[in-house]
Amino acid sequence: MHLGVVDYGASNIHSVARALESLGPKVSIVDTPDKFKSVDKLVFPGQGSMGSCVKKLKETEMFNPLLEAIKSKPFLGICLGLQILFNSSEESTEKGLGVINGSITKIKDLNKENLKIPHMGWNNVKIEKKHELFSGIEDKQFFYFVHSFVAANAETGITTTHYGEKFISSLATENIFATQFHPEKSGEIGLKFLENFINWKI
Amino acid sequence: MSLAVRIIPCLDVRGGRVVKGINFKDIVDAGDPAEAAKRYDAEGADEICMLDIDASFEERSTTIETVKSIASQVFIPFTVGGGIKSLKDVDMLLKSGADKVSINTSAILNPDLIEEASKEYGAQCIVLAIDAKQDGETWNVYTHGGKNKTELDAIEWAKKGQDLGAGEILMTSMDKDGTKSGFDNNLYMELSNNLSIPVIASGGAGELSHLVDAVKLGKADALLAASIFHYEEISIKKVKQALQTEGFEVRL
Repeated sequence: MHLGVVDYGASNIHSVARALESLGPKVSIVDTPDKFKSVDKLVFPGQGSMGSCVKKLKETEMFNPLLEAIKSKPFLGICLGLQILFNSSEESTEKGLGVINGSITKIKDLNKENLKIPHMGWNNVKIEKKHELFSGIEDKQFFYFVHSFVAANAETGITTTHYGEKFISSLATENIFATQFHPEKSGEIGLKFLENFINWKI
Repeated sequence: MSLAVRIIPCLDVRGGRVVKGINFKDIVDAGDPAEAAKRYDAEGADEICMLDIDASFEERSTTIETVKSIASQVFIPFTVGGGIKSLKDVDMLLKSGADKVSINTSAILNPDLIEEASKEYGAQCIVLAIDAKQDGETWNVYTHGGKNKTELDAIEWAKKGQDLGAGEILMTSMDKDGTKSGFDNNLYMELSNNLSIPVIASGGAGELSHLVDAVKLGKADALLAASIFHYEEISIKKVKQALQTEGFEVRL
């Protein structure tokens, strides 16, 4: 098993790479267009804003190779790596990858709880639909989140979480899985999730 | 359901070794920061904080090695503080595996550092640490590990820090630190009422009720402590159970 972690130059990819490496597989950093071909599975950790992420992917000529890889290889998007799959985001005028229909919106404080934004810390993840990546993980476990924008509506949702409003904390479609939480920072349960991704057969 | 109150054990490290001598029973080398961090992770710590005491230029390489060692073995959020003076320091620590950096004295000497680091790496990884001492109705900010008094008001400085782009405030009450007489809940309440970013309370934990009160009365979002966890006086799990009994969300 050879995993690739996409590095477009703006996110701290090292923690993801380290967590994956601790589980055994070969992990390579994918930072040029030609490196997408040599890996079996792809992990895309994202930080920062969608606009700057898309711009950087285009500058480094990785936008199209990434899109191609997403259509053909098992893919795990983390945090911004979930958001970028959508058509658009309130955060930026730059379009996302458009693999999933819908848009990303700012977290809404529906009950006027004076919520602190970003949503940062450990929160419950409610399993709505069974999925292999959650095998061996109980319902309503805590995962670590850091974000200000969410996918509020997606038919592809696997889990939901509540912060100000109910949002999609992970989603899946065919070979694509994406999480709003950071499995690489979610302790033992996060590692179990990553292990499930490494073992995921499509 | 809401966010869990975070319990953050702090490792005081000097020259690559944990100081304040911990006495965990079943770890091979209690002075090894990574061993201690792993133990805290297993006990349910929500984050790990490492404070490099007297971090100096000569010791920077040791710090980096320690950070790398912890980051490759512990997979929960990891904050590193102590002697951070420049963007280069921030960059090096984040690249070595820190998820957040905690900046104290340098932020006062050079407030631009908070702003620049926040712009470059995101507010979520910039923690503004403040040492404060009560003076009548207000709190003064101190620098250099509490040695030097400044003219800054702690609440105002925290607000400024938030405006500059800090993602969290780690406030240590110098009046309470080391006394085990409870947190300065007035300080934390004042802070929480004035800020929209999370507040980490530090200094004064001695009994379970102190930790609960810092959340209940002080409205702290997270609690940081060193010695009570080092000496196993109170376990992380017990703190969480006590908070849960009071109706607070915790990760158990």
